[in-house]
Amino acid sequence: MFIVDERAYGDRENGGRMLLEAEEFRAGLWGMALRRGRPLPADLTKEAGGRKVEKFKSLPFVKKVGFNRIVLCGVLILMYALFAILSPTFLSYSRILSALNYAYFLGFLALGVTFVIATGGIDFSIGPVMFCSALISGQLLTKSGVPLALCIVISIIVGMIFGCINGGLVAYGGLPSFITSMAIMNVAKGVGSVFTKTQSVSWPQSVEANGWYRSLVRTQFGNVQFPMGLVILLVIAVICAILLNQTRPGRYILCLGSNKEAVRLSGVNVKKWEMLAYVICGTLAGIAAIFYVGAYTTVQPGLGDTFNNEAIASCVMGGTSMAGGLASIGGTIIGTLIIALLQEGILAMGFQKDYQYVLTGIIVMIAVYADIRSRRKRN
Amino acid sequence: MGEVILTMKGIDKSFPGVHALDHVDLEVRKGEVMALMGENGAGKSTLMKVLTGIYTKDSGTITYEGREVTFTSPREAQDAGIVIVHQELNMVNHLTVAQNIFIGREPMAGGLIDDGKMISESKKLFDLLGISIDPKENMGRLTVGMQQMCEIAKAISHDAKVIIFDEPSAALTEAEIEQLFKIIRDLRSKGLGIVYISHRMDEIKQITDRVTVMRDGGYVGTLITKDSTKEDIIKMMVGRTIYEDPKTASAVPKGAPVVLKVENLNAGRMVQNVSFELHKGEILGFSGLMGAGRTETARAIFGADPKQSGDIYINGQKVEIKNPQDAVRCGIGYLSEDRKRYGLVVQKTVAENSTMACLEEYMSGPFINKKKEQEISQKYVEELKTKTPGVDQFVVNLSGGNQQKVVIAKWLIKNCDILIFDEPTRGIDVGAKSEIYHLMSELAKEGKSIIMISSEMTEILRMSDRILVMCEGKKTGEINIEEATQENIMHAATLRK
Amino acid sequence: MSNEKKNGNAFTNNPIVRAVGAQRIVVLIALIVLFAFFCIKSPAFRSYPTLLSILGYSYYITLMAIGVTFCLITAGVDLSIGTGTVAYSLIGGYCVVTLGMPIGVGMLVTILLGLIFGTLNGTMVAVFDLPPFIATLCTMMIVRGVGSIVSGGMSVTWPSVGTPQGWFRSIFRIQIGETMYPIGFLWIILLIVIMTIVLNKTKLGRYIIAIGSNKEATRLSGVKVVKYHMAAYIISGFFTGLAGIAYAATFQAIAAAGGAGLELDAIAGAIIGGTSMTGGSGSIVGTLIGVFIMSMLKTGLPYIGLQANWQQIITGVILIIAVGVDVIKNKKLA
Repeated sequence: MFIVDERAYGDRENGGRMLLEAEEFRAGLWGMALRRGRPLPADLTKEAGGRKVEKFKSLPFVKKVGFNRIVLCGVLILMYALFAILSPTFLSYSRILSALNYAYFLGFLALGVTFVIATGGIDFSIGPVMFCSALISGQLLTKSGVPLALCIVISIIVGMIFGCINGGLVAYGGLPSFITSMAIMNVAKGVGSVFTKTQSVSWPQSVEANGWYRSLVRTQFGNVQFPMGLVILLVIAVICAILLNQTRPGRYILCLGSNKEAVRLSGVNVKKWEMLAYVICGTLAGIAAIFYVGAYTTVQPGLGDTFNNEAIASCVMGGTSMAGGLASIGGTIIGTLIIALLQEGILAMGFQKDYQYVLTGIIVMIAVYADIRSRRKRN
Repeated sequence: MGEVILTMKGIDKSFPGVHALDHVDLEVRKGEVMALMGENGAGKSTLMKVLTGIYTKDSGTITYEGREVTFTSPREAQDAGIVIVHQELNMVNHLTVAQNIFIGREPMAGGLIDDGKMISESKKLFDLLGISIDPKENMGRLTVGMQQMCEIAKAISHDAKVIIFDEPSAALTEAEIEQLFKIIRDLRSKGLGIVYISHRMDEIKQITDRVTVMRDGGYVGTLITKDSTKEDIIKMMVGRTIYEDPKTASAVPKGAPVVLKVENLNAGRMVQNVSFELHKGEILGFSGLMGAGRTETARAIFGADPKQSGDIYINGQKVEIKNPQDAVRCGIGYLSEDRKRYGLVVQKTVAENSTMACLEEYMSGPFINKKKEQEISQKYVEELKTKTPGVDQFVVNLSGGNQQKVVIAKWLIKNCDILIFDEPTRGIDVGAKSEIYHLMSELAKEGKSIIMISSEMTEILRMSDRILVMCEGKKTGEINIEEATQENIMHAATLRK
Repeated sequence: MSNEKKNGNAFTNNPIVRAVGAQRIVVLIALIVLFAFFCIKSPAFRSYPTLLSILGYSYYITLMAIGVTFCLITAGVDLSIGTGTVAYSLIGGYCVVTLGMPIGVGMLVTILLGLIFGTLNGTMVAVFDLPPFIATLCTMMIVRGVGSIVSGGMSVTWPSVGTPQGWFRSIFRIQIGETMYPIGFLWIILLIVIMTIVLNKTKLGRYIIAIGSNKEATRLSGVKVVKYHMAAYIISGFFTGLAGIAYAATFQAIAAAGGAGLELDAIAGAIIGGTSMTGGSGSIVGTLIGVFIMSMLKTGLPYIGLQANWQQIITGVILIIAVGVDVIKNKKLA
């Protein structure tokens, strides 16, 4: 199409007037001075029938939080209610803790991949990288007697290194991110497996020596298990949100995801910032490793790829666009909670884990399609 | 000259807000070459798109071979015998020449594609045209000129009766043009009607029988080529009255220092040995026709594309510009002709776009100081009179003129001294246009130096202090505003060196 | 008039090299060198059973790779082939073993599933414009779950040699007297020939190449691009179904929810064989050579003391190198 007919919604709030202006007339006719503007019906959205929805959307509170996120919260609550009705044991505190266990590591993975998706790329290596981190640091902890604190740092560094490799290849090498990260996924699986000689690694229990890392996940206060992991996840989420929305790296990551060439032509070193997104993602995968073992103790080599899909699902569900440029940390967290609840619910109802694969696949499909539709509408 | 094969009468076409074709007439006869001329944006391509069914006309009639016709797709026009050889070639590079010629209508033998027949048919076509191209060669390995020949062969294989050449010679070498002309003469003698769109005056004289001139979407007139001079045609092309007063004298004080000096810049085929100087407070107009290499020159200076050779001096000091970062550091700002792709992140707000080039100055510690960011953007919104409900408005919601102002704000906030405006008013309505002009004059007065690339003659004559004309990657003229006329600019712009 | 762009050197402009393709020649040499390397390093490698084992590994990867080559040529990709291969053969096997269907029906089910999910992929990509990698990623998850759900999370073993329905295993490997004959290789060669003809001599193949090279020009030539774009994914699905049968015939038990990562072997094979990630060019023969490199590594590495985990690393690294070469190649052309 040469002719893009664009509406300027400028004054919608003050009186709902719309301007129709022919724009971007690229068929080589821009030399023309003859242009006509014609008024549009005062409020098109009324005709769309979604008057109440529109009204709801325009409430200041809704605007601030985001309509999408409110809907997601609704879904979360409804899901919880549904599972509670279907499975009576679901209301117990231990169930909630168990669901949260799943949300911690997945949350970190999803937060990381949010940055990558914001640049318009993708990272399929996060799950295996998380496992690789947990395997290497766990092996050092249990077999080589490296102090726990150092192991945690090593875990994060391993993740960071994988992030650097991914980012370097994509941003500086110009390779397509999806195939690069899939290759790195294989490498991560292999490295973890080679390091532990294909043995699985069990991290210490909380009562054992070096078990204090578990209180990062759950802390015992008297008789009550407190979900410490949730606090940490939320704190890191807030840091991520600040990083994404309040700092230079975040600004550039979002902008280059939306229009890389325009940012480059503004004199910004786009390669550096694009790479940074992958480094952040890898680092968070390294952190996720600690929370995975904190909840599930044992890691096996050669696994972890299913978590990629779930993390990506959390992201796109939360309103982060696969096309880049648009990301929501809050949405990602709610998305993560939904996935975690879903997996707990499926288990509680006695179904296999496999149902979750199918559901996750369908969710991503719908979310991406919805994103494509809404973008097409906007343009 | 034979009978009339195609008549377009009173063709009218409007796009939202733009009257693109205003009752245009065109007549093509068998065995003649009809030139269609006009400045960039005169409506030539639109007219041809209406003819071949890419656009639907609002009114008017097309009579072809005595019957009134309306094509709804290029395919239909093709089947009827009207074929267009595009300026941008529509070739599938990974397929062979023969495969391209017969794509969509492959000869079959026993359920399989009969490549042998395709190749022999292609050979026959090439023999007919007197050219030697190996039909088994991959299209992507051919030069543009050869690809063009293949397009012509494809057109003929469709049993075409009318062939439209849309600026066929733009990318051809001298020898290839010779060959093209030989083919066109050949086709003419076989009784085909040919429409030849070109900017090149010498070619028009050489090959065409009649010339139809369009201007601003309207029909101006038709001349017999051999009875008219180059000056006659130019006059018809540019003969509009200029509403805005052209600048009569340069506003740059004598002896203003040179801020930018470019020496022997080479970047690909489109920038060859370009040298010029830009003075402080000057608006240097870059004129030329489409594909003259002006944008490429600007992008090479800005470091957006790699350059092969050439030196750039800023304030007398030689600088090394390898990428846009270097250019911005040197105080150069580039405002692209395609704002939405190269100038703005339209899904982001006015404030975010305004500080894009110098975000580091709007930080407090590691955080973006949004208040400061909003203030500076607001200041420039007011200063440039950008119409926006607020600085937190998404740029996509602004009109073209206001989007352009956001880009200007971006470079002003960065405090760039040299601004390269590439088609500053493209896609901008009349009112906003004069605002942009006013703004540019103000900027120049304040001591900013401006390079303005424009395809609009009126814009060039109204704004520039000096005019540099390019044609096919080379500088073909440098005209002071005092001596500049539409005619001598157009003359230089069609001057092939 | 011979003003072709003179890019490339004497080697790449040599007519024979151009007919076969420079990359394929280099890869073929690499394959031979690799084979020689393993033979020298390990005496045990130089044996007939090893050769059989290389071939055995190559069947299902080759089949997947043939299919995915078509997707790659359209400038897309199909990530669902790995889990698809396992899931379809799992369900097919479930039909045979648990539901007691004849083996022919089981094989039909396997292929049919491939076609169904291939159509799903094609619809999402060609009709709804989803990015191919994300659309097929969804299918990858879905088939993985579906396969496992149908089999109840249990592994399935197709009838083995000697049992009444075990005849199907001799499709790929037949024992005559004392020796095994890798008859499957014959079928593979046959399929390679057929698909090479499909790619180069039919409208289907021609338009798939054209879509990958320049979709808009193809559409303007009056080709129904949606139909042919979709067809590429259906072909991929069909071959994934065939791969499922080969997988079932090669291995004993098929584990539920497996197969993730197999797609990388196939995609790597195709890209090594000279199929470009950016679409428009590819060759089935090249894919076969590329797959042999992958399966040679899979079989050969243990002989020089590197276990399966090293193969994963090496697959990853090879894939990155292959894609890197492809990116550089395309940059040069542009």
